[in-house]
Amino acid sequence: MLQLGKKVIVFDGGFGSELERLGLSGIPEDLNITAPEAIQSIHRSYSCADIITTDSFGLNRVKYHGAYKLADVAVQAVKNARAAGRTVFFDVGPTGAMLEPLGTLSFDEAYDAFAEIADITKDIVDGYIAETFSDLYELKACVLALKEHSDKPVFATATFDSTCRTLTGSTPEIVANTLEGLGVDALGVNCSLGPKELMPIVERLVNSTNVPIIVQPNRGLPVLENGRTVYKLGVDEFDEYIEKMLEAGVSVIGGCCGTTPEFIKRISRFSGAEVKKRTVASKTIINSANVLVEIDGVKICGERLNPTGKKALKEALISENYDYLVDEALKQQEAGAHLLDINVGLPQLDEKKVMPAVVKKVQEYCDLPLQIDSSDAAAIEAGVRHVNGIPLINSVNGEEEVMAKVFPIAKKYGAVVLGLAMDKNGVPRTAEGRFEIAKRIISRAADFGIQRHKIMIDTLVVTASAEQALVKETLEALRLVGTLGVKTALGVSNVSFGLPNRPLLNRTFLAMAMTCGLNMPILNPLDGEMTGAVKAFGVLSGDDENSENYIEAYKDYTPTSPSAVISASQKAEKNASSLYDCVKSGLKNKAEELCELELLNKDPLTVVNDILIKALTEVGELYESGKLFLPQLVSAAEAAKAAFAAVGRHMPKDAEPKGKVVLATVKGDVHDIGKNIVKVVLESYGYRVIDLGKDVPAERVVEAYEEHKPIVIGLSALMTTTVRGMEETIAALRAANCTAKIFVGGAVLNAETAERIGADYYTRDALEMAKLLDKLFPTL
Amino acid sequence: MNFSEIKPQIYNYLGFRGVAESLKTDGAIASCLEELERTAQFNCLYKAFEEAPDFLNKPPYEGFLRGTSGVILSVTTLGAGVDRLTNRLYRTDMSRAVVLDACASAYLEAKSDEYERTLGDSLTYRFCPGYGGSSVEDLKYIFEILRPEKIGVTLSESFFMLPAKTMAGVIGIGKTVKKTCEGCFMLPHCKYREEGKRCYSSEKR
Repeated sequence: MLQLGKKVIVFDGGFGSELERLGLSGIPEDLNITAPEAIQSIHRSYSCADIITTDSFGLNRVKYHGAYKLADVAVQAVKNARAAGRTVFFDVGPTGAMLEPLGTLSFDEAYDAFAEIADITKDIVDGYIAETFSDLYELKACVLALKEHSDKPVFATATFDSTCRTLTGSTPEIVANTLEGLGVDALGVNCSLGPKELMPIVERLVNSTNVPIIVQPNRGLPVLENGRTVYKLGVDEFDEYIEKMLEAGVSVIGGCCGTTPEFIKRISRFSGAEVKKRTVASKTIINSANVLVEIDGVKICGERLNPTGKKALKEALISENYDYLVDEALKQQEAGAHLLDINVGLPQLDEKKVMPAVVKKVQEYCDLPLQIDSSDAAAIEAGVRHVNGIPLINSVNGEEEVMAKVFPIAKKYGAVVLGLAMDKNGVPRTAEGRFEIAKRIISRAADFGIQRHKIMIDTLVVTASAEQALVKETLEALRLVGTLGVKTALGVSNVSFGLPNRPLLNRTFLAMAMTCGLNMPILNPLDGEMTGAVKAFGVLSGDDENSENYIEAYKDYTPTSPSAVISASQKAEKNASSLYDCVKSGLKNKAEELCELELLNKDPLTVVNDILIKALTEVGELYESGKLFLPQLVSAAEAAKAAFAAVGRHMPKDAEPKGKVVLATVKGDVHDIGKNIVKVVLESYGYRVIDLGKDVPAERVVEAYEEHKPIVIGLSALMTTTVRGMEETIAALRAANCTAKIFVGGAVLNAETAERIGADYYTRDALEMAKLLDKLFPTL
Repeated sequence: MNFSEIKPQIYNYLGFRGVAESLKTDGAIASCLEELERTAQFNCLYKAFEEAPDFLNKPPYEGFLRGTSGVILSVTTLGAGVDRLTNRLYRTDMSRAVVLDACASAYLEAKSDEYERTLGDSLTYRFCPGYGGSSVEDLKYIFEILRPEKIGVTLSESFFMLPAKTMAGVIGIGKTVKKTCEGCFMLPHCKYREEGKRCYSSEKR
């Protein structure tokens, strides 16, 4: 097609400014039907371009609320564009709705909206251009939909701001790696800024990928003149920058907001010119929406999201308590992991369902790229599909059957694949045996179109206690595999299984393995000795230039001196008053620690009544009298909550000190600041809170009522428009004969509104609610 | 940006009413503002008109725009990174989340003011749909005209904008009008007024 990547291709320019010039207003997509001649005349004015885009930017079922059927508008839009007599690409813009987790539109719903467009148009267009996307996740949904529902070329462009990030924080490198992985035909940037301001972004794009780059700038930055917004950049200057972009290696050019046929006419002089050759070295790269990790030097893969041998994680997965997983993920990120392994393999779980749910939950809070770890190809695909970015897949091995299942998934989603150097005969005893399997994996991957830099090899750790002589084979295999130009991985801590002082063996082995070229140890990042060994290796291998990372990590290091340790009895004396003070000053970790010490010689209820309740009461009084403020109140509540967690561990299993409270931000509303504050304050008062989250439909609240039988249901809404959702939820609860007291709160509520919509109580803040609960349910 | 200028407003949002500020909170605010400088991606989109778009030809906009020579519709946002950061802090450090949220609100207002000053001297304050008896549903017209999805801003079916730290407003050209409480729907229940304060700085145009 038009020799993409070899000869320069020119796209058309701005549409909005042309509509304005012709005095056409209303929904632009509808004009395809109401004013086809005018639309066709605009397309014809761009016939100097090689490719014409349809007037369909806002045409998808989420966004379009015009007067006509989506399919009718789409078909007419293509007909109109054909009037120019050029190649026609269908213009696909974002849904205009925010995707989960920040918004409420799911990835799959976005996908369906784009798939519908492709189904309607795939036989009548020459290609697609997905443009002006600012959310990488939505762009991924769009590209997947277009590629899975048509076989036409797909170009994709994002918008960036002057800090060279998309509005959701993705850099040009992240966008390029993701789109290249998804197999688009051309990728780049449109809209955003003028050509001059886009130059730094363009330079970064051409240095990140060998995929043809497309750039469609605005006509500079708009300025306000005599009460009108105007674009003032001249044709000459626009042309000058486009020429610079072509010199940098751009393949496809065009214009966006403010550009007119005059601009496109000028730059059409480049049409058919040779594209400047460029070669970007292939690297092993994975990325999330915000973090890109090149597997080079040594990168740590956090292993803790794997239920094997971890009871608490197992229970959390089975009870769908994904908050626990998020906390584990954040701890590993904090401790210095570069990426996280996710494994949800438990016999009682449907991995195919659980994997994407966990992936979505973890990436909602954690910025790190992910490694999808499963032996079930369907679970791998479900996970990889929902990753926002490019993940690693763990794993394939030398068995044909496994490779044939997993490689097509890796190819389709652009994932990097970890290959285990074993096959159906098990782990070869020699380094050479594993090296042979590694070669087989790399060569078989190539049959599926997967290049070498998308493969990593795990040379497999054996336990020293069982197979002492084989440890060195693993290390030798690292060295051999390194010569193939692929990166390597090892699950290092298996080496010490069955021997005493495992940490010592683990970190010694890790140091040996890194010396042999290990790139990605899979380990527990919370083990400071292990991450410390990686940092030290960085200094000694020269990877950590000027020892910067090492110094940053250890600049405050002081060896522990024995004299600094206070005797246990001295500590105990101080505890009682200091637990009180810790709660008051909101020292969360300290409060939990001190509470544990208190519980050594006091019964739980005494600790609660004599210390925690008293501290909270004082905090409450200070807050009400204006001497303490919201942040301090919240800190104190968090500290008390941590102390209550310690108390909970010492209470008899069946004891429920106080009742259950169900909390939800109602359907249509995603503001949950207030609800979150209520949650932590009620928890600090000893109530068990079941938090249903935000945008919760009425049925879900009723279900939770029936399941948990709470004493109270608290509903939150911030907007006047979502109070309606609150009213509906209350009506649904009443219809289900709800006996729990219904509390409402939120910025726009007051006692009158609460009464009007049928709530039992309105409280203006979290503390007022906690105190009213204590009054209403004194016996609990 | 001069942080000390927006500090009083942050204290205001945090519920500090006319009492001594605390060193600890000061420290938290300073570090949250630094984090915002790194995380926030302020972006704006505007369009000016000599004649007001149709949806403004009704009260209370008519009255607000009386005597102006033109009108600007604008959308400003701090981007989705701030929402992500806030959500994460709710998991790891609730108290900081509360401070960051207040800082982000004040930061967005200050950034928006700063950028509006580049548009001209003689402008009214930003009148946002929802003020003075107007309906938040009018946001849909601003969205139809500006198409702020180009800067990553979305409008939900129940008319809230995301990212959360986003403002959409109507600004009159050729006249200076300061903000007042007149017509505010919160007037009967306003916590600020109970304390003799205002939710806005009265110095602001």
